[in-house]
Amino acid sequence: MYGYYDPPFSVEQEGISISVEKTGDRWTYRRTLGKDEVEKLILGDRKRIIINPVEPLNTPKEITPNLLIEFEKTLLLAGGEKKQIFLTFPVEVGVFISDNGNKSLQLLDVFTLVRQKFTLYGEVSNGVVCKHWKSRLYSVSPLLDPLQEGVMELTLRNTSSDWASISKAVFSAYGMKLYYDGDVFMKARMDILNRNTAETGFELQPINGELKGALVKDRKIRKEAFGVYGLRKLGFVPLKFYMGWGF
Amino acid sequence: MGLLILPDINFLEHTLYSTSQGPVTPLDLIKFIIILSFSILLSRVLTIYLRRSLKDRVSKDVGEPILKLLYYGSLIIIFIAILPLIGLDPSGLLLAGGVAGIVLGFASQNIVGNLVSGCFLMFERPIKIGDQVEINGIAGYVTDIRIISTLIRTYDGLLVRLPNQQVFTTNITNIVGHPVRRFEYTIGIRYSDDAYAAIWIIKDLIDKEPFALLSPSPSVFVSDLGESSVKIVVRIWAPVSEWFGLKTRLLWAIKCTLEENGIEVPFPQRVLHIKTDSGKKPQELENLKENKFEENEDVINFEERVLN
Repeated sequence: MYGYYDPPFSVEQEGISISVEKTGDRWTYRRTLGKDEVEKLILGDRKRIIINPVEPLNTPKEITPNLLIEFEKTLLLAGGEKKQIFLTFPVEVGVFISDNGNKSLQLLDVFTLVRQKFTLYGEVSNGVVCKHWKSRLYSVSPLLDPLQEGVMELTLRNTSSDWASISKAVFSAYGMKLYYDGDVFMKARMDILNRNTAETGFELQPINGELKGALVKDRKIRKEAFGVYGLRKLGFVPLKFYMGWGF
Repeated sequence: MGLLILPDINFLEHTLYSTSQGPVTPLDLIKFIIILSFSILLSRVLTIYLRRSLKDRVSKDVGEPILKLLYYGSLIIIFIAILPLIGLDPSGLLLAGGVAGIVLGFASQNIVGNLVSGCFLMFERPIKIGDQVEINGIAGYVTDIRIISTLIRTYDGLLVRLPNQQVFTTNITNIVGHPVRRFEYTIGIRYSDDAYAAIWIIKDLIDKEPFALLSPSPSVFVSDLGESSVKIVVRIWAPVSEWFGLKTRLLWAIKCTLEENGIEVPFPQRVLHIKTDSGKKPQELENLKENKFEENEDVINFEERVLN
C-alpha cells in the first residue's frame, strides 16, 4: 500500500480502501476502514498522493508526542556494555497530498489498524502521558505486517558502571525517522546514564533525491517516510527524550 | 495710520517653568508627548508582530507573559529616559519615589495590591492561560492574566473578571494542573448477579478505551453491600484533556454491556415478608376498626403475641 500515487487511483489492502476519483472539476479522497469513513474534497490538479508510515502518535487524537515501549521481558545490561536488540512499534498510516515535486506536503488522513492505549510515565504530579506499546525482544529483525507493526533497531549503551535493569523505553516523536520498503524500520538508541536515568534518541540519515534519504540495512535500501511531526517547523523542540523516572 | 509692532515671541521656546535640569518649553513638552506616543505605538506594533511570530512556536501561557513584560518594560525604560525633557531627573525619582510610594501605597492600596499579586501570578504561575480552574466558586478557562485582573471564561460562556489580589489570596483549584486525573463511578448490580463477571466486563471495557490509562492502573472492586444492590466502584485515570469525554462515554457503555450480559442495575427496592400463619389475624384486624379507642391496647397486645 505504501508508495506514491497519481490520481485517479484506488487501492485496497487488509480492509483498508483508499481512492482518489475525479468528480466534476474536483477530486474526492475516500478512505474506509471498517465503520470509519473519511471523505475529503481536493481542489487543484496534478497533485500526488503519498501513503507512508508515520509516527504512531496521531490517532485516535494527538495528545502526546511520546511513545513508551514496554519490554515483554526485563532486560539486564552490564555496566559499560553496548548491545543491539530489535523491538516492535505500532504503525500509523499517513496519507499526504503534495505538488509533483514533493514540496508543500499536507497531511490528508492518518489511521491505524493496531490497538491503542495510553499510559503515564513518571509521577501523577509531573509525569508525561505516553502512547503505550508492548513489544517482544528480538535478537534479529523480525518479519512483521508493515501496515501494523514496524521494527526498531535499538542500540543500548550502559555508560554507568552498574548493571541496568531495563523494562521500558520512551521516545519523542520529534526525532523519529521512519523508513519503509516491504517493512517499516526505525533506528534508535538508548543511553543509560545512571541507575534511574537514560536518554533516548534516533539515528538520522542523509537526505538524498526523491527518496529523501536511504538507509542501507541488511543490503536493503529503504525509503524515508514523510512524518507528521517532521512537517512542523517548530523551534526549540528537543529531539531526544530524557528518562528521569527510571527504565 | 498707526504701526503695530509685535514683539518677536516664539511660543514654542517660551519658558513654561524651570527646574534643576534647565528651562522647560512647550517644544520640550511636545517632544515628550510625541516620543511617548510613538514608543507606545511602536511597542504595540512590535508586540503584535511578536505575538504572530511566536504563535506556532511558543505556547500562549508562556508567550503572553513574555510579551507583556517586553511591552511594559520597554515603555517604563523609555518613559524614564525621556523624563529629562520635561525637566525631571530620573535619579531624583528614586528619592522622591520613596516618599511618593508610601503616599501612593496608602492611597491606592487595592490597585497596588492587585498589581503586585498580578506580578506574583505571572512569575509563580499557579495558573496559566488556557488552564481550567476553579477560583472562589467560579469555574472555567483562564483566558488572560493581566496586570490588575484575571479573566475567566466560565463553562457556560460568561466572562468573569477577578481582581488579581483575590485570585492570589484565595484557594485555586487547577483542574488541569497535573497531566492526569482520576474519576470514579459507583455501579450497583443485583444481589443475584455475579459480581466477578460484572468486574470482568467493566475491566474489559476499560481496556478497550485508549484514554483509560494503563498506569496508574484502573481499579474495579466491590465496595459495599447496599440495601438494594451490590456496589461496584470503578476508578479510572485519564489524561486531563480527555477525562470528561471518557467519563461521559464509558458509563453508558458499562450500563449497556452489563445488561447485554444479563447483569442489571436494580432500582431501589425493599423486600417485604408477610406472615400468613394465623387465619384469624385479618379477622381480628377487621374487628379493630369497629372497636372503641380504649380497646386498642388489646389489639396491640394481640399483634405482639402474633409476632412473638
